[in-house]
Amino acid sequence: MNEPVKSRLFAMDGTSAGPPVLVGGRCACGYVFFPMQTYGCEKCGRHGDALTMVYLSGRGMLRAFSQVHLHARPHPQVPFTVLSIALDDGPLIRALLEPPVDPDLCVGEPMVTTTVQQRHEGRDIATLRFKRVNDGGH
Amino acid sequence: MGTHLSALRPVYVVGIGWHRYQPASDTPYPVLGLKAIRDALSDAHLIWEAVESSYVATARLGMAGGLAMLRHLGALGRPLVHIENASASGSAAFRHACIEVAAGISDVVLAVGVDKPGGSPRAASQAGLGSLVGGAVVPFTHFALLTNAYVQKHGVSPRDIALVAVKNHRNGARNENAQRRQERTLEEVLASRPVSGTLTSLQCTPTGEGAAAVIIASAEGIRRHGLDAGRAIRVAASAANSEWADAGDNHDQAITQAAMAAALDEAQITPGQLDVVELHDAFSIEELQYTEGAGICPPGHFIPLLKEGAFDIGGQCAISASGGLIAMGHPIGPTGIGQIGEITQQLRGEAGARQHKDARVGLAHMVGVGAVCYVHVLSR
Repeated sequence: MNEPVKSRLFAMDGTSAGPPVLVGGRCACGYVFFPMQTYGCEKCGRHGDALTMVYLSGRGMLRAFSQVHLHARPHPQVPFTVLSIALDDGPLIRALLEPPVDPDLCVGEPMVTTTVQQRHEGRDIATLRFKRVNDGGH
Repeated sequence: MGTHLSALRPVYVVGIGWHRYQPASDTPYPVLGLKAIRDALSDAHLIWEAVESSYVATARLGMAGGLAMLRHLGALGRPLVHIENASASGSAAFRHACIEVAAGISDVVLAVGVDKPGGSPRAASQAGLGSLVGGAVVPFTHFALLTNAYVQKHGVSPRDIALVAVKNHRNGARNENAQRRQERTLEEVLASRPVSGTLTSLQCTPTGEGAAAVIIASAEGIRRHGLDAGRAIRVAASAANSEWADAGDNHDQAITQAAMAAALDEAQITPGQLDVVELHDAFSIEELQYTEGAGICPPGHFIPLLKEGAFDIGGQCAISASGGLIAMGHPIGPTGIGQIGEITQQLRGEAGARQHKDARVGLAHMVGVGAVCYVHVLSR
């Protein structure tokens, strides 16, 4: 799989006072999903204009995590941590932790979006990560 | 409304065969597949000319591998189809072979799975939708996340979950077709290579190659070819489904629960009546989740029962008597068909050192990424 185009997945605009938002969608039936797409609603099958883009809060609760020790590709470099997060706005998503390892991470704690700069095809791009809200003041 | 397999004419497994599951080698895939098919024909006391149609399960060989293998049994111009359904490819091939016989289209049909490790990109990664994790979440990390969630919810230790692997390696050590044939202590399982979260390499299925074949027949096929009806095992139920919206992180357990309930209902049995069960235990946590999902024990009760030996060969219900995916292996295309072979051996009383006493009812379960789920109930 190619590295996903992360710029379409989150946005900084309109969030000067807060963390990056996730670019999700809402169907006319009320189903909220991430990421935004117009192929069709997996709940009811409506498509096209029935699906509108919505910004989802970059906050959520940590449901589970796993520190990865073995990875077939050079990126991300091991060890890194994968998170399962229930967003405050509904969808359950998976994301990577920043910093890549945090020994104090606890299931049930609040998490929030952040960005890190990553070198991709010769240029720096902002990539979305999640960090602990209560990270001891970092 | 549709109907169940069991409402159509009865279908029986009459022949089973394997090529041992093993690490990747230079052996060409037809050699693997032909060994399994010839063993299944020989087990059934059938000649190839009796097989009216073939279902070839493969997920990794590439397009149209079937005839390049089957022609060496005699290219007779019979229909064949390839079935790819991720980890459940073999289970799907078996189901559709059963449907063909149950519908009365054919009396004797082959389902064969054959695979070798190789490149097989997941189509979903080309769906054009982004992801925050890209290729960073492979199956072992998905199941490491579920392990973490289960440990939190039920207050068990990762050490306890590793006991699943100890049991399955013990069973695999007694299976001549298993890829891993070595008993392992809990300490060895825990000290094996860390993979993701608390999962270690001996709690994860190995990659490998192999083949499994089963021959399915109607009562008419058994009669016409003079087969031994006493060794024929009835397919009592076949259920299949796929993931629905909002199924959550643990979608494999959700679809398993639904497919298990449908299959048990079709077979008109309760979970307590199952003697032998083969599950998609690619990672140790899965055996807990699917056993609980099937209702064989209530949620959170798996570990105490495992420690009492309830799921050992000879226990209340032998789970993964073959060694399961953890020890027998998971070459993908063959896996679901190999499970049917194991259950058939058990119900015939021909499982040798792995025989579960008085096994009468067995169940085979697979999930595949996507996600899809298949459950078959066999009985004698």
